[in-house]
Amino acid sequence: MSDLTKNEIIQLTQRAYKCRENILKMMRFGEAHIGGAFSSLDIMTVLYNKILNHDPKNPKWEDRDRFILSAGHKCMALYATLENQGYFKEEVLWTYNTFNTRVPMHPDEKVLPGIEFPTGSLGHGLPVGQGMAHAGKLDKKCYRVFVMLGDGESAEGSVWEAVMSAGHHKLDNLVAIVDRNGLQVNGRTKDIMNSDPMADKYKAFGWEARTINGHNLEEIYDALSNVPFKPGKPSAIIANTIKAKGLCFAEDKYEFHHWHFKDSEVDDAITKVEESCREELCKLG
Amino acid sequence: MDKSNLNNEKIEKNDIYDDARKIMAEALVDLGNKNKNIVYISMDSSAGACGGPFQKAFPERHFEFGIAEQNGMGEAAGMAISGKIPVIAAYVPFATYRPFEQIRDDICKTKLNVIIIGNNSGFSVSALGPTHTILEEVGILRALPNMTIICPADGVEYRQVLEVAAKIKSPTYIRVSRIKAKRVFDEDHELILGKADVVKEGSDITLIAVGTMVSKSLEAAYELEKKAVNAEVISMSTIKPLDEEAVIKSAKKTGKVVSVEEHSIYNGLGSAVAEVLVKNCPVKMKFIGTPDEYAPVGTYEELLDYYSLTSQKIADSVLNFYKSF
Repeated sequence: MSDLTKNEIIQLTQRAYKCRENILKMMRFGEAHIGGAFSSLDIMTVLYNKILNHDPKNPKWEDRDRFILSAGHKCMALYATLENQGYFKEEVLWTYNTFNTRVPMHPDEKVLPGIEFPTGSLGHGLPVGQGMAHAGKLDKKCYRVFVMLGDGESAEGSVWEAVMSAGHHKLDNLVAIVDRNGLQVNGRTKDIMNSDPMADKYKAFGWEARTINGHNLEEIYDALSNVPFKPGKPSAIIANTIKAKGLCFAEDKYEFHHWHFKDSEVDDAITKVEESCREELCKLG
Repeated sequence: MDKSNLNNEKIEKNDIYDDARKIMAEALVDLGNKNKNIVYISMDSSAGACGGPFQKAFPERHFEFGIAEQNGMGEAAGMAISGKIPVIAAYVPFATYRPFEQIRDDICKTKLNVIIIGNNSGFSVSALGPTHTILEEVGILRALPNMTIICPADGVEYRQVLEVAAKIKSPTYIRVSRIKAKRVFDEDHELILGKADVVKEGSDITLIAVGTMVSKSLEAAYELEKKAVNAEVISMSTIKPLDEEAVIKSAKKTGKVVSVEEHSIYNGLGSAVAEVLVKNCPVKMKFIGTPDEYAPVGTYEELLDYYSLTSQKIADSVLNFYKSF
């Protein structure tokens, strides 16, 4: 199923955990939406290392694939990934949430290379991504547009307006990735506003959809490297994930959507993430 | 200046009425020919706005999104950040209120060149009731950083406004009335962004008007001539950025200012003028527009009369204000 070699999987795992570690270090400078950042990180790692046509030295390269993080509060994952890719120096991360920072709690395309579009208010990313996809078709460009959404975010009506119209317009250069971690601020998504069956909803609106394990690097790679799943249809990847994945004491707990931590907890969290990384690598042999 | 000649000249020109939608539709096709980046975003709103001929001329650059305004505005942002110049038009509430957060976050904050047309403004479709009779949107949009607001006074300006907006490189809101616009300007008049036009010189009192109210204010000024009041009339087609210099210059000359708009007196043109005057040249001021309420149902003329926005009632209000000193 996967073209990833064992060495590549090891390397990607190490990168994803290095990013998790950096996210925890960024927390020393400000509050953190740790849950979504960690649930989406494995997908972003595969996306930036193996899928996207992009050039960190030329972030505005006109033929690049576009990535929009619609659930903008997960941006710590994006910052750590972009830094890991060489878009900017590591020191920038250590200004997180400080006055006039380039890495605020919601991403800003005006101040940080690699950010395609500013997000923060939920439900904006897919309509904007659709516009980019349309512009690409109009200009006869080959770039693809990937938009990552949350499952809690998917209660926004604007998401479904865009899902309906992207299907109607047969935008096969548009990919929606739903980081379905099942939790949001007030609790379990299925209790607050059930969005299941997510894949069926996308299919009903003219998309081709696949459901994957959003922490299995091979499954992520296999899905992302096969878009569009069908010519003439936009592609949806419903990625089942675990909130705060990689931080054992926080996993699958809605309280860690936005972690109100004590400074002393950060070092312990870094140790725990390093342990998780070692365990993952042991499993790989 | 021979005022009687000026009056006769103006009255003759006022016999021409222009359909804004038709003029803008033709202008949009011309602009589409000149600029290949112009695209049209329809929210089931091409035919009702100015997009019909553009759709026929450039079907590949016309994009339909149905009755889904948040998505349409987000699409416009995505197009604009990719180098296109989207024109997106709908009835005022659907072009502005429903997708307001998309306008703020995705278009204004990002400073994208999106041209938003609010169709059927003011009392244009007052029979449809207060859901469609929007009298506050300028006040709301004016508060957004990076937003330009233009409300053309007549057909000469409607013909130019899209090209002006396309050159701005930032978002523009164009307020468009459905009511045929009485000609105010000569054919060679140039609509210049941020520049007011003195359409009648005067020395006793200043009327600053916008959109449909420019021709009404001009007519009111001629009525006032009969009462020996020499009113200056300024057409303020760009509400933001406001031509502060023109406001201050005229206020210093006349010492009394009246704002006239087919819009709420809260946060619209009058407020913008007052903000300038209070800082630079405090003078007595009167606000003519609609009060803090939702408009009743009626014909356009009935609403004008109800809110004292006919030329005769504007003249009466101005005269009372003038005599109060």
